[in-house]
Amino acid sequence: MSDATPAMALAAEQISAGYDRRTVLADLSVGISRGTVTALVGPNGSGKSTLLKTLARLLQLSAGAVYLDGKAIARMPTAAVARTLAVLPQGPTAPADLTVAELVEQGRYPHVGPLRMLRRQDHIAITEALTLTNTAQFADRPVDSLSGGERQRVWLALALAQSTPILLLDEPTTFLDIGHQIEVLDLVCSLNRNHGKTIIMVLHDLNHAARYADRMIALRAGQIIADGPPVTVLTPALLEQVFGVRATVLIDPITQAPVCLPYGVIKPGDPTPC
Amino acid sequence: MNRQTYVVLASGGALLVLLVVLHLGVGSVSLTPGEVLRVVLDQADQPLHRQIVWELRLPRALIAIVAGTLLGLAGALLQTIMRNPLAEPGLTGVSAGGVFFAVLWLTRGGTMAEPGRTLPFVALAGGLAASGLVLLMARSRSGNTDPVRLVLAGVLVSAILSSATTFVLVRNNQSLGGILTWMIGSLNGRVWIHWNVLWPWAAFALPVGLLCAGVANALQLGDSIAASIGVPVERARLALLAVAALLAASAVAVVGAVGFVGLIGSHLTRRLVGDDARCVFPGSVIITAVLLVGADVAAQIITLNPPFATTPYRAGLPVGAVTALLGAPFFLYLLRRSSS
Repeated sequence: MSDATPAMALAAEQISAGYDRRTVLADLSVGISRGTVTALVGPNGSGKSTLLKTLARLLQLSAGAVYLDGKAIARMPTAAVARTLAVLPQGPTAPADLTVAELVEQGRYPHVGPLRMLRRQDHIAITEALTLTNTAQFADRPVDSLSGGERQRVWLALALAQSTPILLLDEPTTFLDIGHQIEVLDLVCSLNRNHGKTIIMVLHDLNHAARYADRMIALRAGQIIADGPPVTVLTPALLEQVFGVRATVLIDPITQAPVCLPYGVIKPGDPTPC
Repeated sequence: MNRQTYVVLASGGALLVLLVVLHLGVGSVSLTPGEVLRVVLDQADQPLHRQIVWELRLPRALIAIVAGTLLGLAGALLQTIMRNPLAEPGLTGVSAGGVFFAVLWLTRGGTMAEPGRTLPFVALAGGLAASGLVLLMARSRSGNTDPVRLVLAGVLVSAILSSATTFVLVRNNQSLGGILTWMIGSLNGRVWIHWNVLWPWAAFALPVGLLCAGVANALQLGDSIAASIGVPVERARLALLAVAALLAASAVAVVGAVGFVGLIGSHLTRRLVGDDARCVFPGSVIITAVLLVGADVAAQIITLNPPFATTPYRAGLPVGAVTALLGAPFFLYLLRRSSS
């Protein structure tokens, strides 16, 4: 663990991972500093979700190691990991008749274990998670009866109830309309600014990534192609190289974040710049 | 537990007491509820009543209650682990394995005459062996057991064992009588000797099964969420399956392969108390016991008043035939519900 110092909240060192025999990530290293918002971007199949899952120990590594607060995550008890790091995977589903309160309560599992009863601090954490995500008014309703945006906020509340300093989100805005997308991203942003949480999220929308993240990591074919603040990552050259699109990049006058406007696709025969 | 659960437990418990009083009264010598109560309070009107209730009917009723609780809890556990509303105790391979071992043993000179001695243990061994086989088959090369593979392995192992049972029976030209009722699941002729086999397993498996509710709750949110909140998913799933198999095998060992009650009981419970396993598990325990005792009362009434015969059946109608009859309309109901 040469590069990974405990200053890093989460670090991957020369990791390789994949599904069955297909390798998705090969020899990749990345470190995530405490208290930052990092967005993982890249085309479909680039390995961004795979990277998130390996960081969250949801996927086994074939080589390398992931370090959580400087400790090898694979050798930590899974409940201890769950007290430090919460993950919201893509498209979770709950049993139809489970209520919001019953679902969010599961977030206390790593703190109370499978047998014990909830204590006062557990009820406080659950209430706080419901309040932050503005879902307290649904507490007694079945998760199934909620709209897509409400449901996504409830799942986020489950992750928040874990009271972890690190939060990993896999495409938290998928299937949401634009209003609910912004709502979720604003919430994520405030969790970072007001509660000091370290956030790593996979985002499809590059403009959202540039607007909400301190750092963008662009992946293609399991490799990190660009890594840095949005202004240095979201460039026309990178969009061509990583996504194969021609685009104009402007600066949003209100947020000062870079914004890309794609206007064409590069065809296989075209000469690739840079 | 939520409020609905307390209501279900209280009213289910009351219903169970009522059904047990009916159960103790029904038979070739019919007793009124008043007579039953006097016998239970040791103030019997006739010595015969006392003998019938204490020696024959009470153990049968107790076995019906406990077998129901075991099957109900096994069904509820499996539905949460497999995330499949059609999962039932039989899907662990327990029923088919128990029946197969029992048939093997009976055709090798074993006897049903002293059933309390060996047969339940043979069936228990068979049930656990078959569910072990299901688990082995459900594991992929990377060591994962996903719920769909589990269901497929369960169906496959059960089908193979059932055909093996038929093969053994045909080869040995066995008279099917006693074995047949056991394959369907029956409470006929179950007395204290059977109770003595059943209760120690139940006393161990029921509390363990109820304590699994917390882990089951996490597992029913899917593998990713369960892992993310700190559940060792593979180990937890294997442990819960083993508990479900033990629950089902203890019941099958004594009453045979009674079908559908575990499925129907846990489904009804979900409709009443929601999907939180801490409510579903105790609810399903009570409701399935009510169902099995009720089905046995019905089986005995039908035995005394056979709809298509002029004389009563010589052998009693097995309770498994009644629960299977309940199963068909229940599947129709599920079908209609899922299509709406």
